[in-house]
Amino acid sequence: MTILIHFLLSLGSVFGFCSIFKIPRKAIFPCMVIGACGWAMFKYVVLILGLSNVLGCLFGALVVAVLSEACARIFKDASTIFVLPGILPLVPGAGMYYTMRALIAGDYASTMSLGTQTIFMAGAIAVAILIVTSLFRVGMVIRGTLSPREFRR
Amino acid sequence: MDIQRQKNIMVLALFAGEIMLKSGAEVYRVEDTVDRICRACGIPYVEVVATISSISLSLDSDDPERPPLTFIKRIRSITVDLEKVSRVNQFSREFTTTDLSVDEGRKILKEINGSKSAPAPALVAGAAAISAFFSAMLGGGLWDFVYAAISGAVAYSLSLVLERLHANSYMRIFLCCALATLLAVICANLDPRATADCIIIGGVMIFLPGVAITNAIRDALAGDPQAAVSRAVDAFLVAISIAVGAGMVIALWQFAGGVV
Repeated sequence: MTILIHFLLSLGSVFGFCSIFKIPRKAIFPCMVIGACGWAMFKYVVLILGLSNVLGCLFGALVVAVLSEACARIFKDASTIFVLPGILPLVPGAGMYYTMRALIAGDYASTMSLGTQTIFMAGAIAVAILIVTSLFRVGMVIRGTLSPREFRR
Repeated sequence: MDIQRQKNIMVLALFAGEIMLKSGAEVYRVEDTVDRICRACGIPYVEVVATISSISLSLDSDDPERPPLTFIKRIRSITVDLEKVSRVNQFSREFTTTDLSVDEGRKILKEINGSKSAPAPALVAGAAAISAFFSAMLGGGLWDFVYAAISGAVAYSLSLVLERLHANSYMRIFLCCALATLLAVICANLDPRATADCIIIGGVMIFLPGVAITNAIRDALAGDPQAAVSRAVDAFLVAISIAVGAGMVIALWQFAGGVV
């Protein structure tokens, strides 16, 4: 139930990102669904499986990246257009904020632990996108739809 | 091929690259597009190097008498507009597969460059949605939702005004985050039903360097570490501006004796 509420709320926020990044109109709805699936996955991993925020970001971003690559092929558009608004809910803005609060409060122990966690969350997103995009690319080269030199979608 | 035609092709290709780069495309995509357009026009030797703020293009012909042509284009600022990126991407596919003339191509690109895709109120509404829904996603209540929508909309309006005045982007983000935080702190102090943390995070989410982070990853993947590092540094500086903007307001408020 909580996951469903989070799914619906993140639809709204991803719609906002689509608006300020001026995503092409036909891509807005898929983007919203992709972003909401990513955030729902994050919440599922953290709340239900009880794993860390870093793993939540990793799995959330994996979902976003796979769905974006699929949509890029379905809608014949650059995959950036789907990835970009999709990963934004996962970017640790809250982590950054609490790190900064701890720093102002002079609590250096929490600053370090929160800061490290924030950096690892951002790193996990990067790793997830790297894995998925390079796997898709290798798949395309094997199937012969992409020459090894090209890197387009 | 006469020199005038070669020059026209060059201008067309650079124009396409310029629109993409200043709308927030990845560096490898810009290089790839410029390269494809030139090759589609039958130029045998093309070399293009792009960074996050410039494109250099060099063309040569088979004629040994003629010196090679080189053109450098500097991009001053990036305004994210993924619709333009998508349209130029589609244009380059079309241009390379059909026999569009160079003049027709330039006309299409001019049309894409001049297109106004979204009016300011729509952007502000988008910012309000981000801010409001994020405060709810991070555990805020109904009143946080309302206040976050207002502070997000006001902060993003300031951002649009500063963008029009060509303010430095780090300074712009710093000021906008400071304003969003100030509004959140005031709301939370006037209304006991609101929590400052949720409203501030909602407002700050609007300015996260999402494009820089994504492009850094994708450029690294495409084998361009130089572009990836520049983007990552850009993302880091934006994150610092956000933290300093929000942090300064909180610290001053506490220094003045207020509670956050």
